Amino acid sequence: MTKITSTRLLLPALLALSLGACQTTSPAIGDGSVAYGDSKAVETVTTDLGSTDIQMIAEKMTQSLLQTPEIQTAIKKRHLLMASPVKNKTSEYFDTRMITDTILTQLQKNGVKYVIEGEDMQNQVDELSRQNQSGLYKKSKSVKMGNMQGAKYRLDGSISSIIKKNSSMKDVYYKMNLRLIEIESGIVEWSDEKEIRKSAKR
Amino acid sequence: MKQRALTFLLSATLLGGAASLQAAEGGSIASKVEELGKMTYLKVSDMRAVKRDGLLRIQVTISNSSSDNQQLFYRFRWLDDDGFTVWEEEPWKPEVVYGLQKKMINAVSPSFKATDFRLELQAAKNDGAPLSGGSDHPAKNLNQ
Repeated sequence: MTKITSTRLLLPALLALSLGACQTTSPAIGDGSVAYGDSKAVETVTTDLGSTDIQMIAEKMTQSLLQTPEIQTAIKKRHLLMASPVKNKTSEYFDTRMITDTILTQLQKNGVKYVIEGEDMQNQVDELSRQNQSGLYKKSKSVKMGNMQGAKYRLDGSISSIIKKNSSMKDVYYKMNLRLIEIESGIVEWSDEKEIRKSAKR
Repeated sequence: MKQRALTFLLSATLLGGAASLQAAEGGSIASKVEELGKMTYLKVSDMRAVKRDGLLRIQVTISNSSSDNQQLFYRFRWLDDDGFTVWEEEPWKPEVVYGLQKKMINAVSPSFKATDFRLELQAAKNDGAPLSGGSDHPAKNLNQ
C-alpha cells in the first residue's frame, strides 16, 4: 500500500522535473526562425516604397507643417484639419493613408485637432444614428445630431515615381508632394516636397 | 579630427522663443553626439541649435575626410529639460556623404516640448559602400 502511494507521488514529481528542465528562461516561444526587428531600421529589401520611406516622408512633412504659422494658429484657435486621400501616382500599390495618418497623429500630439473623413465617416454616422434614431438611448445621455464641426484646412497631395533600369542597375525616384489648403477659399497655404532616391544593382 | 566647441545660437530670446536651451546650452559636440561604433572618416564638424517659434532647430555639419563616398545613418533623440524623451524613437535616416564633402543636416524638433537633443550616428562600416550591410547596421536586409 505504502509502495503504491510513493510511486504515485514520485511519477508526477519526476514528470514535472523533466518538463521543468526542458523549459528555457527566455520569454520567447518559437524555434528562432522568426524574430522581431527594429521598426525604425533603414529597410532596403527592395527599391519599392517601404517603411523607411513612409517614415521619412511623414517626419519631414510633420516637421515642415509644424513650422507654418497656419498650423501654429490652428493649435491656438482650435481650427480643424482633415486629410483628403493622397493620390498614389506610382506604379506600386500601397495605402497612402499610412502617410497622412502618421502626419495627423504626429500633429495631434502637438495639439492640432483634426476631423475624420472618408472611410472613418461611416462609423461616425452609424454611431450618431444609433444614439439618436434607434430609440434605445436616454435622450439626456446621448449625443445630439447636427453638431459635427467642419475642417478649416485640409491636407492633400500626391506621390509619384520615376523608374529607370538598365542591365546593371535600377534607379527609382519618388516624390511626395503635400499641400495645406484652406477649404473655404481654396488657397494653398503651405506645400512641401520630399524626394527619395533608391538604387539597386541588378 | 578636432571637434569644434558646440556653437549654440542663443537668438531664441531675440526671436521671441522665450524657452531657452537650458539643457542644451554650454555643451560640446561630443556631449550631443552618440556614435554607434567608431567612425573613421565622418566627423561632426559643426553643430548649431536654436529655439524658434517654440521648436528646436538643429543644423549639423558632417565632414567626410575620405575621398570616397560614405554611408551615414542618423537620427535625433528629443529630450526635455530633465532628460526625458519627449517623442517616440525616430526612424534611422540614410544619408550619403560624398568624398570630402561637408554635408549639412537640418532638423526641427517634432514637438514643442523638446529643449535638448542627442544625435545618434552610425557609419561604422567606413567603407564608403552605401549598399553593404551588416548586422551592426541600422540598415535591414540590404540584399537586393
